[in-house]
Amino acid sequence: MVKDQINNLKNEAVGEVLEAKDEKSLEEIRARFLGRSGKINELTKEIPKLAASERGNIGKLINETKITIENALRESLNNLKERTSENEAWLDVTAPGIKSQEGHLHLVTETISEITSIFSRLGFHRARYPEVEWDYYAFEGLNFPENHPARDDWETFFIENLENDKLGKGILTPHTSSGQLREMESFKPPIRMINIAKCYRRQSDISHAPMFYQFEGLVVDKDIAVTHLKGTLDFFAKNFYGPKRKIRIRPFHFQFTEPSFEADISCGLCEGIGCKFCKQGWLELGGAGMVHPTVLRNGGIDPEIYSGFAFGWGVERNLMMKSGLKIDDIRLLYNNDLRFLKQF
Amino acid sequence: MNILISDSWLRDFIETKATPKQIGEYLSACSQSVEKITKAGDDFVYEIEVTTNRPDCLAVYGIARELSAILPRFGIKAKLKKPKFEKILKTENGLPLNVEISKKDLCPRFTALIYNNITVKPSPDFVQKRLNNSGIRSLNNVIDISNYLMLELGQPMHTFDYDKILKHKMVLRETKDNEEIITLDGQKRILKAGIIIIEDGEGRLVDLCGIMGAKNSETDENTKRVLLFVQTYNPMKIRRACQALGFRTEAASRFEKGLDTEGVIPAMERATLLFKEWCGANVGSKLFDIYPTPTKEKSVTITKEKITKLIGVPIDVKEAKNILESLGFVSKATADNITVIVPHWRSGDINIPEDLVEEIARIYGYQNLPNVLPPISTVDYKLDSVFGWEEKIKTALKFWGFTETMSYSLISKNLISNQEDHLKLSNPLTEDLVYLRTSLIPSLLDISSKNPSESEIKIFEMANIYLPRGKNELPDEIMTLTLALTGKDTYFNLKGILESLLKELGIFRFEIKQDQCPNLKNFAKIFIDKTEIGVIGEVTGEQSDKYGIKQKIVVLDIELRKLLGFASKAKKYIPLPKYPAVIEDLSFIFSSQIFIGPVIDQIKSVDKIVRKVELLDSYQDTRTLRITFQSEEKNLGDKEVSKIREKIIKEVEKKFNASLKFEKNI
Repeated sequence: MVKDQINNLKNEAVGEVLEAKDEKSLEEIRARFLGRSGKINELTKEIPKLAASERGNIGKLINETKITIENALRESLNNLKERTSENEAWLDVTAPGIKSQEGHLHLVTETISEITSIFSRLGFHRARYPEVEWDYYAFEGLNFPENHPARDDWETFFIENLENDKLGKGILTPHTSSGQLREMESFKPPIRMINIAKCYRRQSDISHAPMFYQFEGLVVDKDIAVTHLKGTLDFFAKNFYGPKRKIRIRPFHFQFTEPSFEADISCGLCEGIGCKFCKQGWLELGGAGMVHPTVLRNGGIDPEIYSGFAFGWGVERNLMMKSGLKIDDIRLLYNNDLRFLKQF
Repeated sequence: MNILISDSWLRDFIETKATPKQIGEYLSACSQSVEKITKAGDDFVYEIEVTTNRPDCLAVYGIARELSAILPRFGIKAKLKKPKFEKILKTENGLPLNVEISKKDLCPRFTALIYNNITVKPSPDFVQKRLNNSGIRSLNNVIDISNYLMLELGQPMHTFDYDKILKHKMVLRETKDNEEIITLDGQKRILKAGIIIIEDGEGRLVDLCGIMGAKNSETDENTKRVLLFVQTYNPMKIRRACQALGFRTEAASRFEKGLDTEGVIPAMERATLLFKEWCGANVGSKLFDIYPTPTKEKSVTITKEKITKLIGVPIDVKEAKNILESLGFVSKATADNITVIVPHWRSGDINIPEDLVEEIARIYGYQNLPNVLPPISTVDYKLDSVFGWEEKIKTALKFWGFTETMSYSLISKNLISNQEDHLKLSNPLTEDLVYLRTSLIPSLLDISSKNPSESEIKIFEMANIYLPRGKNELPDEIMTLTLALTGKDTYFNLKGILESLLKELGIFRFEIKQDQCPNLKNFAKIFIDKTEIGVIGEVTGEQSDKYGIKQKIVVLDIELRKLLGFASKAKKYIPLPKYPAVIEDLSFIFSSQIFIGPVIDQIKSVDKIVRKVELLDSYQDTRTLRITFQSEEKNLGDKEVSKIREKIIKEVEKKFNASLKFEKNI
């Protein structure tokens, strides 16, 4: 019982010390608890009334409590003094701050996050399919004729000693479109995929890196039409590039889409009037189209019931166009010069 | 492929008041893209990008034909005007030419005609200007005719001096290895096997078919009789030949797209008119026409339903039919479908109903279609949360001061020790990018060594590695996270990052076990439950020297797939402590090198009031541990604490061969 009383007293005192805002109140607390007629002394007076066996322990406990309260008072007083002196001291506010840890995400990572979140708002799910891929998924199944130039070892990387009887040669996928058939094999319509992955082409110059990223959208459902493709691309453009930007589609040609389009975005500098940075007010974004019936059939989907659209665009191109960064050589993104990476 | 054509030339075939700007804009919107319009004297030049499926548009007339369908849709009148032709009279008389074709698939259609009484002179002024606007140098009337008609009709042709074709004999065949030809540009070219050429009666090669003629049979200022060649060739053969030779001509770029065999005779007839008008020539032979398998007429049917379904707005049959007819399709319509006969110049690219949808939609105008978001029907598969975790990890590392790198998945021979374990490209572009990496560590070390100006390296990369699984199977692509760190207390800083990272992922238990690795010292494997999720270690001096890294560098390598198997967003609530904690420091002297991890685990297991054990200090063999005692049920008295303390001291001393140095109450 006495023990509890002592502990309560300790907690009460320490609590008050922590609450105290100035020296005066600390002095008041000291007097009330540790003073000659303070609460501790009052308790001490009770000791002789206790059983002899308890007296020692209680005495010790009271002593500890006294020390604890004294410590708390001292510490609190020091803090108060420090704060007051700091307030009064002269401070050079122009001196540099003490930096916290500063790291950097790669520009491509940031762009991918943004693209993912825009499409996720339309119910697209993120996917990633093999980078080392069979010819079938990258070409044959996508309606590329056997002698199409993209299937030459001039344009696509081939892997030594990798070949499947049914699926053809092993290659590094040159586009995320190889994910279209993979997605159709894994999921039944309705399909809404955004596949973002590394791609590889046998080309290296200031505007082409041999490895790059694409993002591929694929929607397959009943009654999917060109108007839906336009709506989706416009949604992306307005969210990624800004509400004033517009999308247009022009006829183009791809093996795996019919009709096929090239999508353009209105130039952000001249707002579509035409300037030296754009072509008559427009900038090319990338290819798109309605999924070719042969591709749907290869993916196990009946083109008489379902239709779909797809687009596959370069992440780097979109990041450069959006940021307006004048990166003179796209390969800088993958050279890993830390002086470059730490700029962003 | 881009072509350059003059506005005046285009207007030879289309009567319209459309301005060049309108032509550029509307052609881009509905057909081929006009990249640029430039003024050239009193003319304009369009630069047009033509897609590979439309070789018919690699021609002035082809573009005019498109415009005749497009411009009226924008309210501008436009009328297509046919070029003028000269019919070639049927005759069996005239100059001889003996033609043999070794294999009929080399040349789907072969035609030739000989002209007499040629006067070689400069071409008319307007021809020179138009050729020049198209980027082709005017040479003389004979050669200009072939270039002019290639641009006008899209059909390349070649002129020989008839008298230089020995014995007036031509054999069209494939080369054997190492045959030689000197082409018109004066280059001696050594040919691989399988290239289409023509040999004359003396066994000389006189033409590198579809690409360039030979010097030995070219027309010159003394030419009196011209042999004109108009052909279509096997597109694959032409493309392979260009690749093998490493050069490509305008003619070859067209042949390799597959040309219209029915366009050959009109081209021949137009040439005959120009030879008459520009060279004063007359026809000196019969028309040689070898056409073993004439192209058959094709018909395609499309339903009204499909048009509406794919385009997204209702388009009535009558309008669709009008559009198709404006493009040259002959059509028949019922209430709900249209059947068309495909015009011969489109026989290469119109095969299925969807091809007709494209024709209808583009002329109807994509700009006239509304933007509509696809209806959200249920998406009944689970969202893949891996991407969310990956992003979370990357973001955490960024805020802990790491810089993210992205390096090529392909590495050089120099960065790997065992080539057999790696997939290899059969056609690498450079020596740097040959092997698919099986670890990110070499890449990060390479990056570290290539950034000598950085005082501290603090980087990470998250990327796939590729582990081969045999000839018939794709490699295992494993998403990996690798960190590299230099600087003071590197090892424990990096281990601290690992601990924080696991906490971020909701993983509160893991084990570290020392192991051996040839390239890393203080190497340890990281386990969660019984699963090895990664390794940590310091790069050995030998390895650092190999990369030229001067600083001590520690790496952490995690197999993300395994790690994320343990990640959890589940949160656990522990009631806030009601009673104060008692904190004490215990210092032990250990008699030998000691792993402190098991000591900490041991102390924690002594009693449930042991809430926390931290390593406060290490000095020589002394380890100071800060122990937090706290009970959920009551205020801890010295009696309870001392009981547990004694137990801790006893167990540590006994199990780890240690002795207590001192204890301190905080």
